[in-house]
Amino acid sequence: MPADIRSFFGGKTSTPIREKETKKEEDSKKKRSKSRKIIDDSDDDEPAPPSKKSTPKKAPIKKPVKKDSPKGEETSTADYFATSSKPKPKPAKLTPTKSKTLESIESNSRSSARKKTTTSYNENNDDDFAFLDDDEDAGDDIFAADVKKNGKHKADGYVEVDSDDEPLPKPKKTTTKSKPTPKKKKEDVDMMDVGDDDFVVPDDSDDMMVLDKPAPKSGSKKRKSVDLDEDDDDDNLKPATKTSKSKSAKQPPAKKARAPKKNEPESSAVQAILDNIPTVRPPTPPPQDPNHKYDWRKAGAGGNAGAPPAAGSKEIPVGEENCLAGLTFVFTGLLETISREEGQELVKRYGGKVTTSPSSKTSFVVLGTDAGPSKLKKIANMKIKTINEDGLLALIRTMPANGGDGKAAEKNLEKKKADMDKVKREAEEMEKEEKGKIAEAEKAAKEARRIAAEKGIAPPAAAVRKPDLSSQLWTSKYAPTSMNQICGNKGAVEKIQKWLNGWAKAHKYGFTMRGAEGLGGYRAIIVHGPPGIGKTTAAHLAAKLAGYDVLESNASDTRSKKLVESGLNEVLNNNSLLGYFAGDGKKVDEHKKKIVLIMDEVDGMSAGDRGGVGALAKVCKKTDIPLILICNDRKLQKMKPFNDVALDIPFRRPTVEQVRSRIATICLREGLKLPINVIDALIEGSNKDIRQIINMISTAKLDQTAMDFDQGKSMTKAWEKHVVLKPWDICQKLLGGGMFAPASKATLNDKIELYFNDHEFSYLMIQENYLKTKPTLIGQMHGREANLKALQLADQAAESISDGDLVDRMIHGSQQQWSLMPTHAVFSAVRPASYVAGLVQGQVQFTSWLGNNSKMNKLLRYVKEIQSHMRLRSSGDRHEIRQQYLPVLWTQMIKRLEVEGKDCVDEVIDLMDSYFLTRDDFDYMMELGLGPQDEGRVHLETQTKSTFTRLYNARTHPLPFMKASNVVAPAKQTKEVPDLEEAMEEDDDEAIVEPKEEDDDEVDLKKDKYIKQPKVKKPAAAGGKKAASKKASKKKAKDDEEDDEESEEDVKPKKAAKPRGRPAGAKGTGKK
Amino acid sequence: MALLVDKHRPRSLDQLTYHKDLSERLRSLAQSGDFPHLLVYGPSGAGKKTRIVATLKELYGPGVEKIKIDSRVFQTTSNRKLEFNIVASVYHLEITPSDVGNYDRVVVQDLLKEVAQTQQVDQSAKQRFKVVVINEADHLTRDAQAALRRTMEKYSPNLRLILLANSTANIIAPIRSRTLLVRVAAPTEVEICDVLERSARKEGWVVAKELNARIAKESGRNLRRALLMYEAVHAQNEKVTDKTPIPPPDWEALIGQVAKEIIEEHSPARILQVRAKLYDLLTHCIPPTTILKTLTFKLIPQVDDTLKADVIKWSAFYEHRIRMGSKVIFHLEAFVAKFMRIVEEHLMEMDF
Repeated sequence: MPADIRSFFGGKTSTPIREKETKKEEDSKKKRSKSRKIIDDSDDDEPAPPSKKSTPKKAPIKKPVKKDSPKGEETSTADYFATSSKPKPKPAKLTPTKSKTLESIESNSRSSARKKTTTSYNENNDDDFAFLDDDEDAGDDIFAADVKKNGKHKADGYVEVDSDDEPLPKPKKTTTKSKPTPKKKKEDVDMMDVGDDDFVVPDDSDDMMVLDKPAPKSGSKKRKSVDLDEDDDDDNLKPATKTSKSKSAKQPPAKKARAPKKNEPESSAVQAILDNIPTVRPPTPPPQDPNHKYDWRKAGAGGNAGAPPAAGSKEIPVGEENCLAGLTFVFTGLLETISREEGQELVKRYGGKVTTSPSSKTSFVVLGTDAGPSKLKKIANMKIKTINEDGLLALIRTMPANGGDGKAAEKNLEKKKADMDKVKREAEEMEKEEKGKIAEAEKAAKEARRIAAEKGIAPPAAAVRKPDLSSQLWTSKYAPTSMNQICGNKGAVEKIQKWLNGWAKAHKYGFTMRGAEGLGGYRAIIVHGPPGIGKTTAAHLAAKLAGYDVLESNASDTRSKKLVESGLNEVLNNNSLLGYFAGDGKKVDEHKKKIVLIMDEVDGMSAGDRGGVGALAKVCKKTDIPLILICNDRKLQKMKPFNDVALDIPFRRPTVEQVRSRIATICLREGLKLPINVIDALIEGSNKDIRQIINMISTAKLDQTAMDFDQGKSMTKAWEKHVVLKPWDICQKLLGGGMFAPASKATLNDKIELYFNDHEFSYLMIQENYLKTKPTLIGQMHGREANLKALQLADQAAESISDGDLVDRMIHGSQQQWSLMPTHAVFSAVRPASYVAGLVQGQVQFTSWLGNNSKMNKLLRYVKEIQSHMRLRSSGDRHEIRQQYLPVLWTQMIKRLEVEGKDCVDEVIDLMDSYFLTRDDFDYMMELGLGPQDEGRVHLETQTKSTFTRLYNARTHPLPFMKASNVVAPAKQTKEVPDLEEAMEEDDDEAIVEPKEEDDDEVDLKKDKYIKQPKVKKPAAAGGKKAASKKASKKKAKDDEEDDEESEEDVKPKKAAKPRGRPAGAKGTGKK
Repeated sequence: MALLVDKHRPRSLDQLTYHKDLSERLRSLAQSGDFPHLLVYGPSGAGKKTRIVATLKELYGPGVEKIKIDSRVFQTTSNRKLEFNIVASVYHLEITPSDVGNYDRVVVQDLLKEVAQTQQVDQSAKQRFKVVVINEADHLTRDAQAALRRTMEKYSPNLRLILLANSTANIIAPIRSRTLLVRVAAPTEVEICDVLERSARKEGWVVAKELNARIAKESGRNLRRALLMYEAVHAQNEKVTDKTPIPPPDWEALIGQVAKEIIEEHSPARILQVRAKLYDLLTHCIPPTTILKTLTFKLIPQVDDTLKADVIKWSAFYEHRIRMGSKVIFHLEAFVAKFMRIVEEHLMEMDF
C-alpha cells in the first residue's frame, strides 16, 4: 500500500523529501540486512535511468513511477488489467498517474517474486520448504519425483489409518472437483499474466509455471503431489507436538478436497506462492463427527485464550512490505509459538486483515490446537483454506510486496486506490479552502487598508497580521468545516443539526410538539461520549451551520450554582452582537443574532462548582436559547439531574474506516508518509481518539516524513493513555491474561506495575481468585496427575501469598518499610499468579477478605461486650468466653427457648441476669453461633420471642456498672471554643458548651441499655433547653457583653427548672 | 442460677481443692504483711484467677468481693478516645490492658500512676497498699511492659501488682526479675474428676465416674472447660450415664467438618470451600491458632503414619506465620493447600 501513496506523492512532493525518506528506509533496511535481496533489486533497477537509488526494496517501488511512464510500458499494464478480470478502474481513469501506480504494483510483484526465491535460498535450506530448494537447484523433474516419492510413502501409510475418516470428507472432494473447469481457463490466463509480468526475470516465472501449469492440464496429478508434500511437511513440522496421528491421518482426503479449490480464485504468480505455502494444512475435516469430542475437549482445555505452549521457539520472519495485502485471516485455536495477539499483529503489520469469524471472504484460517468447533464447521462448510502458524510465517516470508498481483491484492489495491483518490480529492479541497481563506483574509486586509487609507488613518495593526495557518495546532487547522468531514457519528450529528434547526419552531410551541424523534420536546441536549471523538467540534459545527453564534463555557470557568443562575440569566434573553456588527471590512451576518450556549465538560463541574449541575438542569427547563451540554460520562451520579430535561445524544467511537481517510488526507496535506496499516495501527492504538492521532502525527511530522509500522506501534505505546486498572482487570490480567506464557513479552516490572495499579486490592483479589483458575502449567496432564499438579501449584501459590503477608506486615506493621512494596507485589501477586496463571474459570470475584474482616471486628466487639458484662461473674478472658462459655450458654438459653418455648423464659432471664447479660447480648449470642449453632438454624417462635422480650422489659435487672462515655475528655471542650475574640468571654463559653453537654447526656441515656428513659418528660425538657440555648447563642452573636450577661440570666433559671438531677446523677454513678 | 463453674467457684484459699501447698504459700504470703509483686502463670482453666481472688480476700477480708465494673476513658496521643473497663473493689483494681490493643501503654501509664500516687483511702484497711491485677499480662506490648517496670519499683509502697499470664515467655526479663513467679499448673485429670464429683453432689446429680473421666480427658485439663462440658452434658440429657456423649462446642464441631472435607477430597475447588468455612470460624472470633491446632489434631489421626511428622511440621510452620503475619486466612489456607498436596503426593506414590 505505501507504494501507492508514494506514487501519488510522487507527483506532488518534492524530491528532497523523498531522498530523505529513502535514506531512512535504507536504515530500516539495514536492520533486516538481506544482502541477496538488495542485489536482486539493483538488478531490477538496472534499466532505470536515475542512478541515485540503487538501494532498498522500496526504491524500486518509486523508481518505476518515474521511469516507466516515459518508457511507455502502459501496454503491459493495460494487458495486465484486461486479463486480471478487474476492468473497473481502467475505464475510469487512464491518466498518467494511474498507469504509474499500476506499474509500480507490477514492479513490486516482480521484485517480490524474486525475493521469494531468494529467501528460500538463504534461509530455508533445512526448513520445511526444502522442496522449494529442490525445485530451484535440481530442476522440476527431480522435484516432482521427490515429491511423488515422499507423497506416496506417506500417503500409503495414511490410507490405512484413515479408512474410518474417509467417508466424511469424500463428498466434499467430489463437490469441489466439479468446480475446476471454469477455473482452469482463468488460470491459463493467469499464467499468461505471469509470463507477462515476469518477462524480466524468466527463471522465476519458469519455476512457477512448472508448478502451476501442470496442475490444470494433467488433471491435478501434480497438484496432488504437491499437496501430499505439504502434508508431509506438516508431519515433519509437528511430529513432536501434540497432534495425534489420527488427526494427521485425516489430512490426505481433505487435501484432495482442497487441492482443486486452490486453483480456483487466484491468478498469477501469487497463486503459485499461495499454493506452495506448504502450510495448507487441513485438520479441518474433523468438525462434524468429533464434534462432541471437541466440545468436551474445549471444556477440558478451556479454549484458546491461553499462551502458546512452545512460545518463542520459532523465529518470526521479516517479510515484504504489505505482502499480505488483500488477504483476510481468521485465527482460531491456540497457536504453537506465537500468541494470537502476536499473530494478528503480524498480519496487520503486513497489510492483512483480521476478522474474528470465518466467512466466504476469508482467505486463510490460521489454525491452532483446540480450535473452536463452530469455526471448524464453518471452515469445512465454506472450504476456506486453513494454514497453521508455519504457513502464516511462510506466507509472510514468501509473498511478494503488496500482495503481488494476486487477485485479492489487486482488489485491495483498487480499493485503496479509490481511497487514495478520495483522500487526494479531499486534500485538494482542503487546500482550496485554505487558499480561499487566505485570499479572503487578504482581501479583507486590503479592504481594511483601503478604508483606512480613505479615512486617512494608518492601517490597523490587526489587519496587517495575516492569518498564519502553520502556527495553528493541527487539531484546529484540520477541524472539520463541513458536516461530511466529521468522522463517524453521522446520525448523532444530524440529530444535533435537526434539533438546532427546529429549535425556534419548537420554542414557539413551548416544546410541546415532540415530533417524530422527540427532538421538539427538549430545550437542551446533552452530548456524551469518550474524549477525542469530536463532540465539541460537532456541536460547534452544527451551531455554525445552523447560523447560531456560539457561547461556550467549559471547565475553565467557575460554574457554581450562583454563577450559573446569574450568569446564564443574562445570556438567556440576549441576541448576539454579531448579528448587528462586524469587524472592519467584514459583512454583517444577519443570521448570527441567535445564540447557542455550549456547556462543555459538564461532568467536570466539581467541588468548586457547588450546586452547578442542579442549577444548570434548572436552566435547561426554561432556557430561551438552545443549550448543548457536553460530557464524557453520562452515567455518573451527578449527571442525574439532566435525565429528563435534556435529550441524550450519545457519541460513539468512530470506526477505523471512518477515521482512516481523514487522517490520510491530513498526512497527504502535510507531506507525511503513512502507510495505511500504520494509520490503522495508530487509530487502534489510540482507541480511535481522533484528536490524539492528529496530535501524534503532528508530533511525528516534526522530525520525520514517514513512519513505519513499528514506529507507529511504539508511538501509540508511548502515547497510550495511562489507564488505572480496576482490581478486577488486574486480577484478570495476571491470572488469565497469558502474562506468564513463555511467549509473553511482559517483564517482571510490567507485572509488578499491575499490582501497583491498585496496591490495596490487587493482592487481595489474587488471593480470592487464584484457586479458580485452570493453570496452563498443568499442560496436557489428565486425571489425578493433573489434580496433583494443580494442588502443587495451588500450594506454591498459597505459600507465596503467605510469604507476601509477612512482607505486608513489615510494610504496614510497626516497621513501616514502605520500600518493600515491590517485594510485596512479587510475593503476593506476581509469584502466585505465575504458578496458577491460565484460564480463569467463572467470574473474577471481589475479595471477601474485607467483608469478613469487618464482620470479624463487629463480632469481636460483641464478644468484648458480652465479656465485659460477664466479667464480675466469670474469670475467663474473651477467648474463653467465646470458646467455652458461649456454646454452653447458647444451649442453656437459645436452645431452651427454641425447644421449650415460652415456659422457660423466666429461667432464661434469670440465667442472663446472673451474668449481667442484656437483651442485646442475647442477640449477639445468636449471631455468634457457629456451625451447628448457626444463627440460620435457630427458629425461635415469634410468640416465644415476644414473650421473652416483654418479660425481659418488664423486669428489673442488676447492673454491674455504668458506662462512662459521658466523661468527656477535656480536649474536646477546648476545641469547641470559637476563635472570635468576644467569644472567648467566659459567659459565652458556658452558653455554647451547655447545649453540647445536654446532647451528650441524651445520647448516653439512649445508648445505655441499663437506663430506661422516661420518654414523656425528656423531649419537653430538652426542647425547652434547646430553645433557651439557641436564644442565648443568638443574642451572643448580636450583642455585647452586657447583653450576654442578661442572656445568661435568662438561661440560668431555665436550667434550674430542668430536672437537673438526672444527668448529674448519671454522671456521678458513672464516675465513681 | 449461674452456671456451675461460677456457682461453685471457691471463694477462699481453704476451699481450693488442689495445689494445696500453693494455697498455703499464698496464705502465708498474704499474712506476712510484705506482699511481693506476683507473676502468676499457668494454662487457662487452671485456677489462677480464682486463687488470686482468694488470696486478695485473705489480704483484705471480704471487702474485696464487693466489686463493680468501672468504665474509664483515656485519650491517646493521637486524640483517640479509649473506653476501658476496670473491675474494682475498694482495695484493688483488675484491668485487662490487652482490651485496648496497641494502646495498652497509655492505660498502664495513666492508670497505674493514678492509682499508685494515692494511698489507701480506707484507713481501716488491713494493708496500706492497693493491688492491681493485670490480666493477660503476656499480651502486653513491649512498650507497656517497659512502662510497667519502673512503676513497679517507684510506687511499691502504695501498689502491688499481680500479673496473670498463660506463660512467661512473652514477659520481658526485667519484669520477671521484679516479681515472684507463681506457677499454677493445670489440675490433673483425677483432680478434675474430684471437682466434678463435688459439683455433682452439690447439685444433686448422679455421679457417672466414667463420664467424669472422659470429660477430664476431653477438657485437656482445663477445669473451666471440664465444668462447662459437664454442665452441657447435663443440660442436654435428661439422664446422664457413663455412655452419654459429650457435645463438642460449636466451633469444634465446625472444625471437625472442615477436617472431614479436607480429607474427603484434595483439589483447589475444595480448598475454596474450606476457605469459606475458615472465614466463618475467624469471623466468629475463634483465634486462628486455635483453629490451626484443632484442625491439625483432627487431621492427624486420619493420615498415614509417615505423613504425621510432616503435617505437624507444616502446622507449626504456619502457626508461626500466623503470629508473624497479619492476614491469618492466607496462612490457614496455605496450610490446607500444603496438607492436601502432601497427602495427595503420598497417595500418588502409593498408586504408582
